[in-house]
Amino acid sequence: MSTPFSLFIPRDSGMHRLHPLTKLTLVGFCLVGGLFFPGIWLTYIAFLVIILPLAAWGRILRPFLSAVIKTTLPFAVSLVLVQGLFWPGGTPVLELGPLSFKEEGLIFAARGTGRILMIVSSFLLLTFTTRADELMLTLSQKGVPDNIAYIMLTTLQIVPRFQSKANTILDAQRSRGLETEGNLLTRARALLPLIQPLLLGSIVDIEERAIALEVRAFGRRGSKTTLLVLHDTTWQRVMRWLLVLATLAVLAWRIYLWLEPRIQG
Amino acid sequence: MIRLRDITYHYPRATTPALDKLSLEVPAGQLCAVIGANGSGKSTLCYALAGFVPHFYRGQLSGHIEVAGIDVAQSSLAEIAGTVGLVFSNPFNQITGARFTVHDEIAFGMENMGVPPDEMRARIDEVLRFAGLTDLADRSPFALSGGQQQRLAIVSVLVMRPKVIILDEPTSQLDPVGSKEVFAVLRDLAAAGESTIILAEHKLEWVAVFADRVLVLQDGRLVADGPPREILTGDNLHDWGLEPTRYTQVARSALNAGRRDNGEALPATLEAAVEYFR
Repeated sequence: MSTPFSLFIPRDSGMHRLHPLTKLTLVGFCLVGGLFFPGIWLTYIAFLVIILPLAAWGRILRPFLSAVIKTTLPFAVSLVLVQGLFWPGGTPVLELGPLSFKEEGLIFAARGTGRILMIVSSFLLLTFTTRADELMLTLSQKGVPDNIAYIMLTTLQIVPRFQSKANTILDAQRSRGLETEGNLLTRARALLPLIQPLLLGSIVDIEERAIALEVRAFGRRGSKTTLLVLHDTTWQRVMRWLLVLATLAVLAWRIYLWLEPRIQG
Repeated sequence: MIRLRDITYHYPRATTPALDKLSLEVPAGQLCAVIGANGSGKSTLCYALAGFVPHFYRGQLSGHIEVAGIDVAQSSLAEIAGTVGLVFSNPFNQITGARFTVHDEIAFGMENMGVPPDEMRARIDEVLRFAGLTDLADRSPFALSGGQQQRLAIVSVLVMRPKVIILDEPTSQLDPVGSKEVFAVLRDLAAAGESTIILAEHKLEWVAVFADRVLVLQDGRLVADGPPREILTGDNLHDWGLEPTRYTQVARSALNAGRRDNGEALPATLEAAVEYFR
């Protein structure tokens, strides 16, 4: 069960107790790995060997897998359909009447899905196991300006906030007789009376939240204090450096693979 | 404590002023209620006292606003923040979202002001007790009811020890139970007498109970200024777009029916009504 307006799932776990910077460094590695791992399967192996065990360590395996499937599956299905069926030329591997799946398209879809899986799952792992305030403090302590750190924090909260506001507006419109169930056209038509109050209401919310922040001296310059305490350990510092080295190694490997044919040519 | 001299303010692109040649003085420790119909300028006055007019909303401001020795127009919002506290109507939007628990949400303002952690903890315990939120200290602020969130907003400002607290319709989005909870906190706050309080409010029955003084705004102008009973039972209330309290209405009906003497002052509160009909 996540906390209201946050993706964080409170659990008593080692993963939750990790310093946010350690988890951020892992996300950085997964981002670079997801984008630059060569071949098809390394991203899937990294997901199975690194990310999934960490989710199990964080005792969030079930909601984590559910969220990963919900976010990755639509991309995977559309990639397989679009790239598999409409790859120009290519070798047919499966015929379905006039349609045929091409081997090259399916390989491209598998590679793309692996990249999305690795990047999305690492971000979900971070947000499910890290309190937003601790993440904000970590960023501030590392020199990120407070307002930028706050924007990053609210970005994590924006999806559940938007969802809640949209549900309230939808309920209000339904109570006035708006049809929201039925065929695609009816559902599309129901979106219009939802979008306008949602957007206008969100602008008012942003304005009021900005005032609330100013009232609490958020814009004040000078030294600030905090009640939050972040625990760091030597082994985590070592892990972070290893992750940084691994990220640089992935980048170097990718650059080598890119340069190799040019050097030989 | 508060001194306004000839304040006129236009919102950007507005042709008519939201505040029109407004002058007033409020001494320290007074609870001053601001009433008026919608669009009369109550919220604009609140935002002007807290510096959001003109620093946040821009527009054109003329005249002089001084709050607790601060020249509002010449000071930044960050400079005003510790001295003037503002609470507005939407409790949900006053939760910053920057902290995980009620306890830490209260700390947020003090953290920005650089208050030492030990002092912060002591002040937080004090205001949690004051607002009856001690049992909810470890909850997420988003998990609270509207009334609890509004009490949290009030103490989050109060804990910064401002000299002036401005409340802009703090109960307008709350149910009767939530409103009662918030007014109980305001009653205790007023009784402590440590802060000057400006309360913009529609619920005149509460204004009649709490206020030391009532200001009436109409079209951005100050049209009446006096003790609550005198203002709230006066004949002009309808002209200002306001409804008398139910106690005044009942008493006036009795008076019109010839059951009471014309010389008696009409009541605006329950206690005064009991006295009136005794």
